[in-house]
Amino acid sequence: MSNKQKNKNEPINPMIIIVLGVVFIVIAVAMFVFQPNSNSINIAADSSTMSQLMVAFITGITTGGLSCLAVQGGLLASSLAHQIEQDYTEQITHGKKAKQIAVRTNSALPIFLFLFAKVIAYTLLGALLGFVGSYLTFSPMTRAMLMIFIGIFMIGNALRMFNVHPIFRYFSIEPPKFLTRYIRRTAKGTDTFTPVFLGALTIFIPCGVTQAMMATALGTGSAAMGAALMLAFTLGTSPVFFIVAYLATELGSKLEKFFMRFVAVVVLILGFVTLNGGLNVLGSPLSFENMTRGLFPSLSRPAPVAESAPQAQIPAGELALNVQNGGYFPATLKAPADKDLTLNLITNQTYSCARDFVIPALNYYQLLPDTGTVQMMIPAQKKGSTLFFTCSMGMYTGQIVFE
Amino acid sequence: MIKKTFQIPDMTCTNCAMKIESLEDILAGVKEINASYHKLQMVIEYDETKLTDEQIIAAVKKKGYTAVVK
Repeated sequence: MSNKQKNKNEPINPMIIIVLGVVFIVIAVAMFVFQPNSNSINIAADSSTMSQLMVAFITGITTGGLSCLAVQGGLLASSLAHQIEQDYTEQITHGKKAKQIAVRTNSALPIFLFLFAKVIAYTLLGALLGFVGSYLTFSPMTRAMLMIFIGIFMIGNALRMFNVHPIFRYFSIEPPKFLTRYIRRTAKGTDTFTPVFLGALTIFIPCGVTQAMMATALGTGSAAMGAALMLAFTLGTSPVFFIVAYLATELGSKLEKFFMRFVAVVVLILGFVTLNGGLNVLGSPLSFENMTRGLFPSLSRPAPVAESAPQAQIPAGELALNVQNGGYFPATLKAPADKDLTLNLITNQTYSCARDFVIPALNYYQLLPDTGTVQMMIPAQKKGSTLFFTCSMGMYTGQIVFE
Repeated sequence: MIKKTFQIPDMTCTNCAMKIESLEDILAGVKEINASYHKLQMVIEYDETKLTDEQIIAAVKKKGYTAVVK
């Protein structure tokens, strides 16, 4: 092989990929944690169709992609895990030379298939939402059970990848034989089923921004408009999803020996995060936040004055909770026991999933307006009891302690 | 036609089972292959006059796995 050819085939410096990957992940985490007070999903009813679609697309490409990646990344990781396992086996079988080519081409395909299936599934969902209205909205309890199920599934899969016990092999879904035969003969052995199936499954775990967009699709009252809106939004989320996932995979290919373990660890962490979110939505005291809130009182600090301005209008004796893009403030409310109470839920340019307010023990669920105050009655509670509240995805949480 | 079961202990995922089943399209005399990652085995139904155990084991090895007659 000539020097020229040699240089051409040389892999990119792993450090560049590592740095790029870390930068993207940091940006993703930063944008997700510090979601801007943008009004990008506040689609006015009287705006034109094209501008609605444009706003949906921009929402997707900015906050939507990162927010969705945080929530649905686990399914994508599971999808990639199958491909990576396959590549890894091929590398061992065919030696190092085949590896460099195989990983390059194969890592993009499952991500693309996953995103393609996701876009199609959400477009269809948008059409259904627009047509059927609120009938398809999942209750918080249904979503909680689904999240717990998905969390357990992911943890089981991670343990399978660690070869902890043969029983965990059953966490890997074996598609029906007629389907694998059909796929094999049409896709020439390429693994298309898993990413397509998992991509379509993302409609069952929408992130907060997606839920807001789904609510908007519901409000359109038109199947075509609902579909177009969700199509524009999911198309917007796709580039961020693709770039972060692809870089993450490429990063892994450079660290081939450890990557299987790395993927398993990521799936394990995301599994626990998903399971924990489900426990939050169930109102379980066993969730991480509900068990540790007392240990980190600084997290329960009240909101900054400017953001909590509407609190001044709350009558004495009533409770006020500031619902902000970053969560609920204060995270711990103290209330008198054995007395009916009014809780004022105050939003002020709030567009995150914190708007989807849930008190599981009272079976209370309310999608709050982006700005305004919603009152809810809380029946008398026993002394020493605690009511947990959360957003519908179990990401933001808090509690009311009765004394 | 006979039916035989082979243990394939080095399958790591369901894709491996799919890859092994693709031998159906390659090996002459095979009627059906059902591979299971859960059980780490494949059940193959084939014409013993056209195919031997050794040929099956060799074909599986070409796919990157080890087959052992159960």
